[in-house]
Amino acid sequence: MNAPHPDRHPDRQANPQSDRPATPARRLVLVTLGLTGLLAVAVAIAVSFGAAAVPLWQRLFLGSAWSEAQQAILLALRLPRVLTAAALGGLLGVAGVAFQALLRNPLADPYVLGVSGGASLGGVVALIVGVGGLGVPLAAFIGALVSLVAIERIATSGGRLTVLTLLLTGAIFNAFSAALIYFLQSVASREELSAIVFYLMGRVPSSGALTLVGLWAAGVAITLALFASARDFNALTTGEEGASQLGVDVERLKRRTFVLGSLATALAVSSAGLIGFVGLVVPHLLRRLLGPDHRLLLPAAFLGGASFLVLADLAARTLAAPTELPVGVVTALLGGPFFLLLLRRRGAGFAGSAGSRNSGGSGG
Amino acid sequence: MAPAAAETLVELGVAGRIVAVGDFVDWPPILAGLPKIGGHDAPNPERLVELDVALLFTAASAAGRGEHARLEELGIRVSALDTSTFGGTLAAITEIGRQVGREPEARALRERIAGRLEAVRQRAAMAPRRRVLVAVGHDPIFVAGPGSHLDELVTLAGGENIARDALSPYPMVALETILERAPEVIVDSADNRLGQPRGWTAGFWTKWPFLPAVAQGRVAFVDPWQLLVPGPRLAEMAELMGRLVHPELFGAPRPEDFAGAPAADESR
Repeated sequence: MNAPHPDRHPDRQANPQSDRPATPARRLVLVTLGLTGLLAVAVAIAVSFGAAAVPLWQRLFLGSAWSEAQQAILLALRLPRVLTAAALGGLLGVAGVAFQALLRNPLADPYVLGVSGGASLGGVVALIVGVGGLGVPLAAFIGALVSLVAIERIATSGGRLTVLTLLLTGAIFNAFSAALIYFLQSVASREELSAIVFYLMGRVPSSGALTLVGLWAAGVAITLALFASARDFNALTTGEEGASQLGVDVERLKRRTFVLGSLATALAVSSAGLIGFVGLVVPHLLRRLLGPDHRLLLPAAFLGGASFLVLADLAARTLAAPTELPVGVVTALLGGPFFLLLLRRRGAGFAGSAGSRNSGGSGG
Repeated sequence: MAPAAAETLVELGVAGRIVAVGDFVDWPPILAGLPKIGGHDAPNPERLVELDVALLFTAASAAGRGEHARLEELGIRVSALDTSTFGGTLAAITEIGRQVGREPEARALRERIAGRLEAVRQRAAMAPRRRVLVAVGHDPIFVAGPGSHLDELVTLAGGENIARDALSPYPMVALETILERAPEVIVDSADNRLGQPRGWTAGFWTKWPFLPAVAQGRVAFVDPWQLLVPGPRLAEMAELMGRLVHPELFGAPRPEDFAGAPAADESR
């Protein structure tokens, strides 16, 4: 919580209800504006490049014309895909923060609580049954919702949702789904097999306008809903008892967080498959940069996750053009080493300032 | 055994010696009803022994190599074939002929195919190259790339594969690239299900009316059976590709050129 921040002035509008110096609202505005700017830059770069060459800026500033193909490439393919990537990255980033707060474990990511398993399974079943187009994301989303309800039921005992049971249930659910997917793969034809493999690798689609609006609306709504509990998440880092003593309805918070984070994950996985590392690396990086306050972290994770996935997808689209790489490969290649680096530096900092930070705790 | 090997064996006149086939073999019809004993590169060893199989033709694969060695220990001769290219397909015919003692027949078959391929090449040699896209998957879009027999077929038949510079034989390619490279002919063999629309129809590609192939009505939906299993039918495939890419030289495609295996049609 109280990580020392040289640039943070415990002054301005000190919040009397809080037990610590409040983060000024100004900081939230600055961070949000800054990251919105970053996202805008990322989007601008991402729509400028692709497998095909489209003179985007020449047209905007010099009035050169586009062919019909170039217009379709930019407006029907590239722009929707970039905006989809942004929405999905945002959803994953926010889900990552939510689950890390809920489980009080910095290693949690959006896929840890089992919903992704249900989503993948639903999508794979749809692929095998052969419902193309929107059938696959729809089936995946239904799979995710079913597993969400099932996991919630199983992990609740005596009206309480225990974090440990939730974690175990999620892990078992994922393993179980993976086994069922392997089974389906083993009886699938070669065409189905390759479709399944590429579906599971993760790929950002060029969504239609309606899907795009839906994803963005859901992303913003989920972020705001979680943001409403940001103060409670801050309290939760002291442990469930501590949070209760601070007046937080912990049971309600846990359930809400699980459901909201799972919905975000479900939307992301059902539209794009399993894109790893976004929900893990982005929250960590932001926590390092901004400190552990969830009031800053949640909006920042949406915007940061969005920027990260937009750029990762840009790499997936262009690095081996005209061959497309699965974006999950790119996020892992970027995210993996980066995460390790972060861990090392954090480890050093952790040793140096032992005791001053309690968000990592035994879980870190 | 792989479909291509099955077709070759029947072509070489040794159909009667086949005791079992792979899961995906449904052609030629003479093989219908034989036990099916496994997928791509991994037939069921117990069934192989049970059926007293002496010789197994299977697809060459790094993953299957260990299994193949074990089968050899069990006294089953394993011939792993790579029929993914022209060269591989012709070599496989020679190899199959050698294994079953039909070398002269195999040589004759090979020469017949090579002769017809050469005839296609010569006929298309002077024609202007048309930009061709061969799609083998829609979601995501997979196309024929370098190192696939489809790429060779396109080149032979007077086309220029627009995915020539991709990284693998069946790359996942950006739709952006396809729109930018504006194929003049699209051969779509992505959907292997029965009852799909076949023939000259824009179908999946209707969304992009400015593509020359769509604008000129040169989008062909062809059953994968026609083009995707290189084997003894390689020459027919080349001639069909000629009719699709340069109908003015090779004649218009016939209705049956778009359809699936005749036997599959009857059972429909």
